[in-house]
Amino acid sequence: MRHAWKRNILCCGIFIVMLIIFLHPDMNARRSYEYIEKNDILSNLFEKTAENFTSPAVLHCEYHNLLFDDTTLSISLVDGDLVEGHKIKEGGEYSPSECKPRFSTAIIVPYRNRAEQLRGFLVYMHTFLHHQCIHYRIYVVEQLDSRMFNRAKLLNIGALAAMRSGYPCLILHDVDLLPLRPGNLYACTKQPRHMSSSINKFRYVLPYLNVFGGAVAIASNQYKAVNGMSNEYFGWGGEDDDFYARLEAKGLKMSRFEPETSRYHMVSHKSQHKGSGRQKLKVAKERMASDGLNSLTYTEIATVLHPLFTHIMVDL
Amino acid sequence: MVTLTIQDLLPYNTNKPNKKVDMDAILPFLILPLLLLVATISRAITIIVMVVIGMGALYVLSRPRQKNRSPFFYSWTLSSALYMFLIFEIGILGLLEITQLENFIFLLLLTCTCYFFYKMKAVADFELATGSSKGKEYSPVLTSDSHYCQICQIEVNERFFHSIWWDCCVLKPNYGYFLVGQLLAFATLLFGTNLGLTSVCQPFILYGTILMPEDCDDVYYEFNMALCFVTCVYGVGYLFVIFLVLLHQLLIYIPKYSEPQWRKLINVFNV
Repeated sequence: MRHAWKRNILCCGIFIVMLIIFLHPDMNARRSYEYIEKNDILSNLFEKTAENFTSPAVLHCEYHNLLFDDTTLSISLVDGDLVEGHKIKEGGEYSPSECKPRFSTAIIVPYRNRAEQLRGFLVYMHTFLHHQCIHYRIYVVEQLDSRMFNRAKLLNIGALAAMRSGYPCLILHDVDLLPLRPGNLYACTKQPRHMSSSINKFRYVLPYLNVFGGAVAIASNQYKAVNGMSNEYFGWGGEDDDFYARLEAKGLKMSRFEPETSRYHMVSHKSQHKGSGRQKLKVAKERMASDGLNSLTYTEIATVLHPLFTHIMVDL
Repeated sequence: MVTLTIQDLLPYNTNKPNKKVDMDAILPFLILPLLLLVATISRAITIIVMVVIGMGALYVLSRPRQKNRSPFFYSWTLSSALYMFLIFEIGILGLLEITQLENFIFLLLLTCTCYFFYKMKAVADFELATGSSKGKEYSPVLTSDSHYCQICQIEVNERFFHSIWWDCCVLKPNYGYFLVGQLLAFATLLFGTNLGLTSVCQPFILYGTILMPEDCDDVYYEFNMALCFVTCVYGVGYLFVIFLVLLHQLLIYIPKYSEPQWRKLINVFNV
């Protein structure tokens, strides 16, 4: 009798311990999170156009209908071509002619060696952004040297170029992400915004609450205030968490739109080499003042204005 | 002093250790991971390995039942469950794409499955020890619809059978546990493989939050992903087998299929 009793207790104990281990309290992937309600989006937007931008139109553009647009764009757009007469200026700049846009956005895309993907991305993004009635320009920053890919540094370079052209809002965008919902307005909110919070590749969940990579919208002055991103992250991973730590240190809260609006399609590709950024992450806040926009050194090989994008080629 | 071993916790324990039997019981724990590892090399090899496992199972089924008296098959079931569980909890959850709620539902289903199979085995062992199933329901003289189970050495009714994969007889007292266990195992595997495949592959939205895998082209580039993928494919194979078992149990209750000529055909799935 005593033996059976002990056995039951032992079984229960083992079971509970196993349950706690396998419930993974440290892993917090989630499908729901705090977001800006659709009705509050307009009042939360950071309304500003580029410094030297003028529109011939008289009326201001309206965004209400766009924000409540529930349609989903088709991924097959990447295989097609842009329609004729798209009025995109050299360097990938566009502004609607029928109304005066309220937002100017520079979309900065770090890039290397994925010509076919870039082509699809540009066609898709121009089609997508034409629906949005905003003034925008696409910058593609390409790393030409053979060192490991440094996404954050490329973004810094692109951001500097965009800020020089007077863009008040930057969108840091990966080339493999395609926004699916027209309601996902490519403009900055008053707080930095994590846009790609519902990616198909990640089962439409957030891997962890403070993820701040993929596609991010941030006002230029905020980007300057946190000294941009770190230049030290070679290889894949870490730089986005470092960036989030910087925002946190400056007291900037991250915002998001609701998951349905923030749906993205990730174009499949081979995984990249993992970097070794985890140790750097611990001292992210200390390095913030000395590592970033103010310590940016690189060699610019060329800047070419292509019909669909501004191509900045650099050696890091 | 609490002197307990793993043996005590298992419902089935042999008190006579035998070198050959032990070897049979350990082999699946070595063969299965080896097969899964080999299958991660490429898509073609995955297909070959899965076909080989399927053929092996068919070969076992085609042999006379008495010959399959070995703990190998029960070990195979245990090792399959163990490895699939470990890959799910370590590999697939490591991708950070499974929410805690989903993991919790999975663990709940798994716990229920384990409980029912544990009860099934415990009841079978109890029957074997006490022999109470030789009472009223089972006449000492073999009637037309009952036969003698060579392996357990007790008499079983035609509708019941000996399962080599569970190494016990499924009799009237534990038939309910067996059926519910199979149903729960089906649900657990369905849920687990769906979570796994949608994590490693590109998913699409079927309805609401239900996702289905769509494009699994780039899983072989990374060993981790490939192993998760291969294990999920193996799980889908298991799912198919459980589906056949459940279908078989369903067919038995349809009178038409209880006739002898059908019975022979259906009883292939008495696993």
